[in-house]
Amino acid sequence: MFELRNVTKSYLTPKGRRYVFRNLSLAIPPGKNIGLIGRNGAGKSTLMRLLGGADVPDSGTIATDRSISWPVGLTGGFQGSMTGRDNIKFVCRVYGATGEAMREKVRYVQEFAEIGDWIDEPIKTYSSGMRSRVAFGLSMAFDFDYYLIDEVMSVGDAQFKRKCADVFKEKLQTSNVVLVSHSMPEIKKLCDVVLLVRDGGIQVYDDVAEGIKAYNS
Amino acid sequence: MGAVWMLIEPICHLLIFSVLFALLRARSVSGVEYPVFVLVGMAPFLLYRNTALRLMDSLRENRSLFGYKQIKPLDTYVARVIVETCIAATVYAILVFGFAWYGFDMTVHRPLEWVATLLLGLLFSFSLGMLLALITHALSSLKTIIRMAFFPLYFISGVLIPASYLPPAMMPLLLLNPFLHILELIRAQVLPNYTPVDGVSETYVISFTVVLLFLSLGTYRARRMHLISTKNG
Repeated sequence: MFELRNVTKSYLTPKGRRYVFRNLSLAIPPGKNIGLIGRNGAGKSTLMRLLGGADVPDSGTIATDRSISWPVGLTGGFQGSMTGRDNIKFVCRVYGATGEAMREKVRYVQEFAEIGDWIDEPIKTYSSGMRSRVAFGLSMAFDFDYYLIDEVMSVGDAQFKRKCADVFKEKLQTSNVVLVSHSMPEIKKLCDVVLLVRDGGIQVYDDVAEGIKAYNS
Repeated sequence: MGAVWMLIEPICHLLIFSVLFALLRARSVSGVEYPVFVLVGMAPFLLYRNTALRLMDSLRENRSLFGYKQIKPLDTYVARVIVETCIAATVYAILVFGFAWYGFDMTVHRPLEWVATLLLGLLFSFSLGMLLALITHALSSLKTIIRMAFFPLYFISGVLIPASYLPPAMMPLLLLNPFLHILELIRAQVLPNYTPVDGVSETYVISFTVVLLFLSLGTYRARRMHLISTKNG
């Protein structure tokens, strides 16, 4: 579960301070797959970074008793000048997988992302599809209670999407997902709760269909 | 190409100034060949300069890694110092072997003190670089000015000439610069017959470093939230 208490988050821009959330309090029930929906720039990714601990609120607390993955997104998470293999090894070391465990994870990602010998090329030479395949595969190589997935699944081709759906189905037996997506069918299929991020506030919809309706209206 | 440049930069500096110096004055300074004299001081100075300057970019270069909550901005600073040190040590080793092979005497007079001074200088430039990085994170337009400021520093730190060749009237002012102290100490520890100018003291460098380190770590502590926020800087 997640509990947000009086969370305020702002960013400094050249034009001054911009608030993404002000005094936000909410509790997300445990054991649910969470969909984050909202317009571009509403703060979905910020919320996800906050949940994952990659960013900290200006004030307030975010409490959870679960292990949470890093935000798996289209951008970031990789050092562009290093090769795919080095990036994977780097993340393995950060998460404490060394030796045989690391080699196994590298093999898994290589095979899952279908990048073949591109794994030894710098990440910055990858196409966005390849990057997102590696990013998604890398997060799937680790076991977390919550996976934070930021639109990665929507860019792949049909075959890759099917593969994602399969591995996801397996993971979701034991884990949960926080999913940012603009694809409503995907939200409908995977999520039990929808958080609609709008105008610096968040509405929780236990009924997914209702949340999607509120988003579309 | 990048790897080659690492070697070429100090070699170019060395060659140009050796030739200039040979044209202007005698070929030796305090009993050693001029290229040896310059290399001994220049290699650490270039390391210190690179450390201090490259820290300003390490946040931007590693931004994408802050998605992993285990990784903090301080880690990227420390990583950068380690990388720069390894590069500098390799380049220095290659040049020293080259020089020794050519026939110069490359022995270090007091090796333990030398290593200690080198590390002290590294700690100093780490503190300096971190403070500069934190300042330029808030005011990014200062980056160019800071980069330019290191150019005159090259000349007033006694990289190319012994500090005793600098104008004595300016000495009290020049001695405020810790790099001058560090380079003089390093030379005195490597070269057996080198006497540093009056006023050079290890204590000054140590106290300067401690104060600077305290300042930069304190500033880091205060600013650490801003450093991770992707949309800032």
